[in-house]
Amino acid sequence: MGNTKLKESRPSKETSKVNSGFPKFQEIDGNHPLKKQVPEAVVEYQVRTRHGGNVAFFNFDLAREIGLIPENHPDELTKELKDEILKTFSIVIINEYDMMNNFNFPKEEIRPNTYMATRYLQLQHPCKKGTTSGDGRSIWNGQLTHKGKSYDISSCGTGATKLSPACNINKKFYQTGDPTVSYGCGYSEKDEGLSSLFFSEVLAKNGLETERVLAIIEFAKGLAINVRVHDNLLRPSHMFNHLKQNNLPTLKRMVDYYIERQVKNKIYKNAPTDSKSLYDYFLNKVVETFAQMSADFEDQYIFCWLDWDGDNILMDGGIIDYGSVRQFGLYHHEYRYDDVQRWSTSIKEQKQKARYIVQTFAQIVDYIKNEKKRSIDDYKNHHAVQSFEKRFFDYKNRNILMKMGFNSKFTAYLLENHRKDIEEFRNDFTYFEMAKSVKGPQKVPDGINWNAIFCMRDILRELPQLYLNRGLNEKISENEFLDIIKSSYATKTDLKRTLRRDLKIRSFQKNYVKLINLASKKFKEAPEKVLLDVSMRSSVINKYDRVTGDSITTIVNKVMNRKPKLSAEEISVVLKEFVEYQNLNPDKERRTSNFETEKEQSRLVKGMLQIVREYRDGI
Amino acid sequence: MKIVLYSGGNEDDNRFLNQRALELTGVKSPKLTLIPSSSYDAEDDFRFFVQEFSKLGVQKFMHFCVDIPYTKTVLKEAMKSDLIFLGGGNTFYFLKHLKKAGMFSHFSKFLKRGGVLCGLSAGAIILTPHVHTASFPHFDRDENPWDMKNLSAMRVVNFEFFPHYKNSKRYDAELLHHSKKTTIPLYACADGGGIIVDNDQISFCGKSHQFFQGKKLTISNYLG
Repeated sequence: MGNTKLKESRPSKETSKVNSGFPKFQEIDGNHPLKKQVPEAVVEYQVRTRHGGNVAFFNFDLAREIGLIPENHPDELTKELKDEILKTFSIVIINEYDMMNNFNFPKEEIRPNTYMATRYLQLQHPCKKGTTSGDGRSIWNGQLTHKGKSYDISSCGTGATKLSPACNINKKFYQTGDPTVSYGCGYSEKDEGLSSLFFSEVLAKNGLETERVLAIIEFAKGLAINVRVHDNLLRPSHMFNHLKQNNLPTLKRMVDYYIERQVKNKIYKNAPTDSKSLYDYFLNKVVETFAQMSADFEDQYIFCWLDWDGDNILMDGGIIDYGSVRQFGLYHHEYRYDDVQRWSTSIKEQKQKARYIVQTFAQIVDYIKNEKKRSIDDYKNHHAVQSFEKRFFDYKNRNILMKMGFNSKFTAYLLENHRKDIEEFRNDFTYFEMAKSVKGPQKVPDGINWNAIFCMRDILRELPQLYLNRGLNEKISENEFLDIIKSSYATKTDLKRTLRRDLKIRSFQKNYVKLINLASKKFKEAPEKVLLDVSMRSSVINKYDRVTGDSITTIVNKVMNRKPKLSAEEISVVLKEFVEYQNLNPDKERRTSNFETEKEQSRLVKGMLQIVREYRDGI
Repeated sequence: MKIVLYSGGNEDDNRFLNQRALELTGVKSPKLTLIPSSSYDAEDDFRFFVQEFSKLGVQKFMHFCVDIPYTKTVLKEAMKSDLIFLGGGNTFYFLKHLKKAGMFSHFSKFLKRGGVLCGLSAGAIILTPHVHTASFPHFDRDENPWDMKNLSAMRVVNFEFFPHYKNSKRYDAELLHHSKKTTIPLYACADGGGIIVDNDQISFCGKSHQFFQGKKLTISNYLG
């Protein structure tokens, strides 16, 4: 099975480039530098037009950002734009099954260029070296450059490739759309696209790296092609397969390609020019990225099934493949996703997986530099791994201060000068965050969980304003503390006071107040002033209603079942309102309020926010 | 009872009423609580509230939403405030949730112990006997998608209040029509204006108008 090209069906010139009002679309034609630079890393397919599609959603903001449409283009899906979207993205691969069965497709429907599916390591494949795994139902549409930055564009649901688990487990090629296999059939569904859309836009708005949905093209029976964009869609697993196969030349070219791309995109700045230092620089970047990402995921309760294969995550720590991604309302650290053949990792195990990914990169860099592959175990205590450990806790410290509501000035000072005090507070915080229900493990629709019982966002939101009113010397009682912190999962028994819990409540408050006083003293601001600032910021950061995985699923169902059906433009409007409401950045420019403005949310968005509220403590 | 009804307006428009409301507390360093009409974007409202009252030297603020679950601890603390400010927004939504949360009895106790209760626009209408004035004029009224039938409100003042009044024929036509059907006076105030009730004393801020039994009367004696 090599690269597949049709012989009988030749592409027609009619499908080649034509003039259009959206010239950038013409650049998305299957060409991608990876095909030339690392040809072993891809499988090329010819593609043909897939009929019957309709544009269910188009991300106007993202399209403007990447230069696909002019900046002054309205959020309007004109016929010309719609046709351009369909022409560019409504495609399906001509796969091995089609070839073996001598399917002949109309010449005018076959595109001139091949499109690539990329190879990468995936733990669910029988081969643990990544020789047969990769994009099972996706192809890369190409690369677009705008204002000096390049973006990768790929589509999910464009046909069954030979890299899917089903193909390799059952040792047969599948016809695209074969109903006997789900994931292996090569199609994806509209609800997957909408889930990714709502989730990724919220997370992107809150500063997290993530793939973003550019367009959703829907077909009959709920099927869809979901087009996604990110400035670099490579994952660690795109390198780990070559490492596992001891294929140094390909591994090196893949790493070089990645580094070069990050430099060109100005994400790697001041990178050294000599190659050995450049690889060390690359490793440092990996350490920094994965330390920050794993700390952020843990502190924002983002579960993304990180594992040793380096799949489900992008090289820059961005989130990809929202199928198993969740954001919890509480720290549900015992939740595991049931993937039929295996349980997923838990949120608290993500750090260890990130650490292992860093360890693997230490092995990769050493392998490239010295051309000799040593055992992964030799890198357990590598300086990169040690550095990861330190940086992980640095980010945890930063995150707790930010969550408390300290602004960047206070945060920087406390991080620099009072690490021990921050860690003492973080320990108290973790004690409550980790508390689980006496009910024990419970089955949930897609896995298992042992419910967390305390909502830390609630205490961080309410505590500063209570202190502000009572004074910093008047602590809140143990009962009041538990009254605020209890979640909907907490039973009466869960809320019982114990000596240890009482001590922790006092310690939590003592250390909280200490941090406020330290900031106040340093900047010669009254503690009340610091508290007021913290209180206002914290009310945004720790908003009562923050999205969870379950709420996104329910919201998507609501959008899917809406009658009359929402148009692409309407989804765009609803999405914008919803995402704006979920923007928890206290420094964002806020609307001028006279505390009486009629709220603008449409009824549908209000309904969505109501769902967010109902599921706020969930998974 | 100490009550201040605000019509509405931006930034500096309400400086005078804010000052008077603070004076009514009789406290040097008063504690203020904002209860927004809705928790949607309540943080923005809170920020603005703090910004405005900080200019007048206030340092202690809370905000507290009634349309989401709240704890006894926070409710109790809010009721210890010297001044409670009911924000503006959709009157029907606010009324629905204030009633559901049983807030009227808390407010009564708050007023009895000398607290200052303020309301702006929707928040002010809710202090009157009922919220009919939120239903007109037809070109500028609050939506009532919940189809609330019981429009009775707090009744801590014995008049109706019409915020955001504009001295024009089309407003007057609807206000005069409404006044024929009621037995209590209706006071209409433009943005920046309002009414201050200090026990038996009632004073107006800004040019205000009374609509009663089909007649319009301009109140010429006003503060601010």
